[in-house]
Amino acid sequence: MASLEISHINKFYGATQALFDVSLSIGKGEFVTLLGPSGSGKTTLLKILAGFESVSDGAITLGGRNITELKPEVRNFGLVFQGYALFPHMTVRDNIAYPLKVRRLPRDQIETRVREMLDLVQLTRFIDRRPSELSGGQQQRVALARALVFKPDVLLLDEPMSALDKKLRVDLQEELRQIHQTLGTTFINVTHDQEEAMHMSDRIAVMNHGRIEQFDTAFNLYRNPASRFTADFIGKSNIFAGEMVRGASGLDFRGDALEVQLGLTDRPQGRVDLMVRPEDITILTEAPDAGRVALAAEVLHSTYSGDRALYALRLGSGKEISAYGAARSGIHAAGAKVFASFAPGDVTLIG
Amino acid sequence: MSRIIYWSSLVFAFFFLVAPLLIVLPLAFNDSSFLTYPMDGFTFRWFEVFFTAPPWLASLMNSLKVALGTMIVALLVGGMAAMGTMLMGKWGQLVLSALFVSPIVIPSVVLGVAMAYAFGRMGVGGGYLSLVMAHTILAAPLVFLSVMTSLKGLDPELDRAAASMGASRWYRFQTVTLPLAMPGFATGALFAFITSFDEVVVALFLASPQSQTLPITLFSSLRDRLEPTIVVVALLLSIVSCLFIIALNRLQKRGETRN
Repeated sequence: MASLEISHINKFYGATQALFDVSLSIGKGEFVTLLGPSGSGKTTLLKILAGFESVSDGAITLGGRNITELKPEVRNFGLVFQGYALFPHMTVRDNIAYPLKVRRLPRDQIETRVREMLDLVQLTRFIDRRPSELSGGQQQRVALARALVFKPDVLLLDEPMSALDKKLRVDLQEELRQIHQTLGTTFINVTHDQEEAMHMSDRIAVMNHGRIEQFDTAFNLYRNPASRFTADFIGKSNIFAGEMVRGASGLDFRGDALEVQLGLTDRPQGRVDLMVRPEDITILTEAPDAGRVALAAEVLHSTYSGDRALYALRLGSGKEISAYGAARSGIHAAGAKVFASFAPGDVTLIG
Repeated sequence: MSRIIYWSSLVFAFFFLVAPLLIVLPLAFNDSSFLTYPMDGFTFRWFEVFFTAPPWLASLMNSLKVALGTMIVALLVGGMAAMGTMLMGKWGQLVLSALFVSPIVIPSVVLGVAMAYAFGRMGVGGGYLSLVMAHTILAAPLVFLSVMTSLKGLDPELDRAAASMGASRWYRFQTVTLPLAMPGFATGALFAFITSFDEVVVALFLASPQSQTLPITLFSSLRDRLEPTIVVVALLLSIVSCLFIIALNRLQKRGETRN
């Protein structure tokens, strides 16, 4: 397995540290996304992988071979840029043929490979156009074809969709996934768009302030975030600070605004955060049976989106939470007194 | 209000810059050896003089030779200086740019005397070589500036993209940087040519009778015998300049559509 191992990378710019002990183990053929807000270090990490930035400390190996010091030209990594970076003075054909000409392939082979790639990205009829005659989405697909035509070991994508409108983005995400499945190349994508990350990736590395917060599947990131940052960053969440205290059948959660009987035996006592996703909360007009947690709340406002409504609720303690409610038979008005209810099994403890 | 300013500036510029030319140029076709109005009649006689009488055509050829030589050497020197400077850091670029542009601010009289003296000592004075070398010093900064401008306008990601596809530095330069910076080189070449073609001060110090350039012939005939032939020369030079300006415009437009 020619896996990509990133181990203990630190990166300093003068006195400021951009990356802190970053380690990732990426399997061959995996689709991994580096996800984080701007300034999280995701782009720095991508530049290091591409060879445009050096590491201050740490190593990168590909299939056991150390490539940390290799120049970009000899890495054999494909790269798709945010601004496409197509050569404006060349046709689509010449753009895609460029890496093959560099490798001195025979002319007829170049033509065959170029046509194969154009077929893959469905742009065959634009082969003789200049990049300036193509739309943004088409340009990005040419850039993709150009970065893949030389069969790179790894394809790096630097916020490839950020310049496209939403509809196009969704189409291209789907296309990118299919291309990934067809070719089986390792893809490493950088984005700040969590939806894009969740739609396309096998695994997502959530980054914050130069550190990897969590590296896991979209499902695990969403259901079992390892940190408060991940819980906040991926999807909507309600987080209650509190601590684990001894209860009747194990440890229970006790916070300012609520108590939840969990009866856990497999974790220590002490400070902890409790997270409930808004879709796990049910909005009731009467207090539910015992066994479910119920918090008295007042509706602040709601956002109706047809299939459901997102409510902002204020709890008795003054804390505001969000919850999805079915909206088939009407919407709770602002000021209505309700109960926000959830099952103890649907909560996640963080920390 | 802005319309008034626009039109008055236009009229002013016309009278100040264009009207004198329009008054003088018809005299190229005047059938009299004096530069006076009213015109005596219409003739191509002075064009014939330009293309047949001894000093004119020879000095035009000299000027073309020197200007072409200057263009080539200035392209090499200025172009390479610009490309080297682009590889430097921010401060290196500042210092080198200042140095490479500095010949522009030296008075050409000073440069002419210095050159005449230096070439005389080396024994290469008077020939085309000395003229080309001296004009290159004046023209190379212009090439440097125009190439720098077009290199700075290039998207640095293009070079990175080419590198990620395995292209070596030299291959990237040939296939990406150079073609895209071409408008800058072409503009610089035109500037170099024009600079040399109508340079008179340095040429006065350096040229021998055999390598006398067109501006020198113009200058001396202005002093000796004021003939309509010089108006012919002025007319021809104006046409050449206009062609150059059109060419420059075309180049700029091409550069814009590419980026």
